[in-house]
Amino acid sequence: MTDFFQACSDGLLTGALYALIGMGLALIFGVMRIVNFAHGAFLMAGMYATWLFFEKFHINPYIGFIPAGILLFFFGYVVYLLFILPVRDRSDFMQILMTTGIGLILVDSAQLKFGADYHYTNIPLKGAAFHLGQVSINKASLLSFVIAAALIIALRSFVVRSRTGQALRAIAQNRDVAPLVGINVTKIQGFSFGLGIAAAGVAGALLLPPLYLFPTVGDDYTLKAFVIVVLGGMGSIEGAAFGGLLLGITESLTSRYWGQQWALIVDFILFLLVLSLKPSGIFGRQRA
Amino acid sequence: MSGLHGWKLWALVMVAVIAATCAPLLAQNNYQVQIMFQIALFAGLGLAWNLVGGYAGQLSLGHVAFFGVGSYGFALLTRLSVPNWVAVFLAAIAATTLAVIIGVIVFRLRGPYFTLATIAVAEVLRLTARNLDFTGGATGLDTPALFHGRTFWKMFYFAVMGLAVVAFLVNLWVARSRFGYRLMAIREDEDTASAVGIDPARKKLQALLISAFLTGVGGALYASAFQYIVPDDVLHIDRSVQMAIIAMLGGAGTLVGPILGAVLLISASELFKNQFHEAQLLIYGILIVAVVLFLPEGIVGGIKQLWNWLRKKKKPMALEAASG
Repeated sequence: MTDFFQACSDGLLTGALYALIGMGLALIFGVMRIVNFAHGAFLMAGMYATWLFFEKFHINPYIGFIPAGILLFFFGYVVYLLFILPVRDRSDFMQILMTTGIGLILVDSAQLKFGADYHYTNIPLKGAAFHLGQVSINKASLLSFVIAAALIIALRSFVVRSRTGQALRAIAQNRDVAPLVGINVTKIQGFSFGLGIAAAGVAGALLLPPLYLFPTVGDDYTLKAFVIVVLGGMGSIEGAAFGGLLLGITESLTSRYWGQQWALIVDFILFLLVLSLKPSGIFGRQRA
Repeated sequence: MSGLHGWKLWALVMVAVIAATCAPLLAQNNYQVQIMFQIALFAGLGLAWNLVGGYAGQLSLGHVAFFGVGSYGFALLTRLSVPNWVAVFLAAIAATTLAVIIGVIVFRLRGPYFTLATIAVAEVLRLTARNLDFTGGATGLDTPALFHGRTFWKMFYFAVMGLAVVAFLVNLWVARSRFGYRLMAIREDEDTASAVGIDPARKKLQALLISAFLTGVGGALYASAFQYIVPDDVLHIDRSVQMAIIAMLGGAGTLVGPILGAVLLISASELFKNQFHEAQLLIYGILIVAVVLFLPEGIVGGIKQLWNWLRKKKKPMALEAASG
């Protein structure tokens, strides 16, 4: 039973990061109806940015996520203007190809710039743990959980309460009418694309200490982000948060009982099951 | 090309086939023949993808699943001492069988959901192949060569040329048959297509079956030519992207598009490989973005547009006004 609780607690801690990744993708999909096939590549970019802050200026990743997030926000905004805006009204087919292409360019630029070497970020906090009954909790993971949870709550209340958030939801509900009530669609879409990318980048920053860093590190996360978002109901950011936690726990339980190598396979099978049985997601209402 | 009919078309096809058959004579070394092998193989794969991605308009990024099953099927069957050529055929049948299963799951989905599901299926296969013992895990399997000796690469080149020619003829048939028109109707508007009595799921599945069979043969030939397969190559999503971009670059839903795409992309990435080593996929990324932004109909579409524009310019103004 201790094993079970240990796996659940580990899964919950990773799940918060998954939730953040998924919320970024859901935000982009909700406001733009574009599936971002480069999401993992942006996460990788966030990791490299944080790693560079750490190597060059000795900024701890748990602080470095802030400049990395800001950097990724502006990067996302520029990518939106240059590459996403021209395909905004084109078919799914073209939009998917576009984001796939952006992803390939990002990954291979990283390959070209930094090489295929593995990098490892060593901070003292990583080894520290405390015990809650018989369940051991890693302090670094707990810290990243707290940061991710705070950001998830902030992101949600931003979308629900702020004026920009209202504009954003208005576009998600009906893009054709939104400009008629005075919403600048291009600006708001660029903003939400930036925000979604920043969420992926911050998640990447927080994943830097527990993982090795290499150019293709984000590839799995693109697919995981889709799984999260589909579990939660495409385009719903609350759903994505639940989807992230669910995926974290599922993965952790699979790893504990069947071995880590099966975790990703179970993710995808879960994904295919949800897609074919209940495409609106486990937590989702039918939308659009 | 799709405008040509009767003997003119067949003459052109014959000339192209003869030229392609003679191409290895021009090669100075085995390396060049090997590049020709890759071009012909990927022309075949691009044409196979074209049936689903081009004519039926379904963006599959999971075609590597059929390729990989072809490769692994060939490797595993030959281990059971099935004769080599029979193994190629049976491996392609295995890929087709997989297509039935995949088709039932994915063809109920549309747009991004469809693409995501195709990727997920291919990834499940890759990860499973990595983890099972009988598939050799991450280190993969040895495969027997279909040909031996000095003419090794030439024979393999002719084999994949055969595949490409068959794939081309299938594309030609699709471009002009009732079946193909139905696929194109589904591509243009699925709801309208089903309103006029087309069963989209069924037609798309039929296209996928043919496509999977051809892709499976390609996978088996590839496995045999390199005599070694690893899951991170023959089941990797990058290969799916490669098949799609080859067709898209040349022009998806056209007959010559995938062939043109294979020639350009394989030669370009070969040049890039020598320059940038690991980052050779950069050219794929740049090409994808460029095609989407500037050449959404591919090179063939671009040439057509240019042609129409030139013809319009020649027309006298009065005539155009009258006809417009």
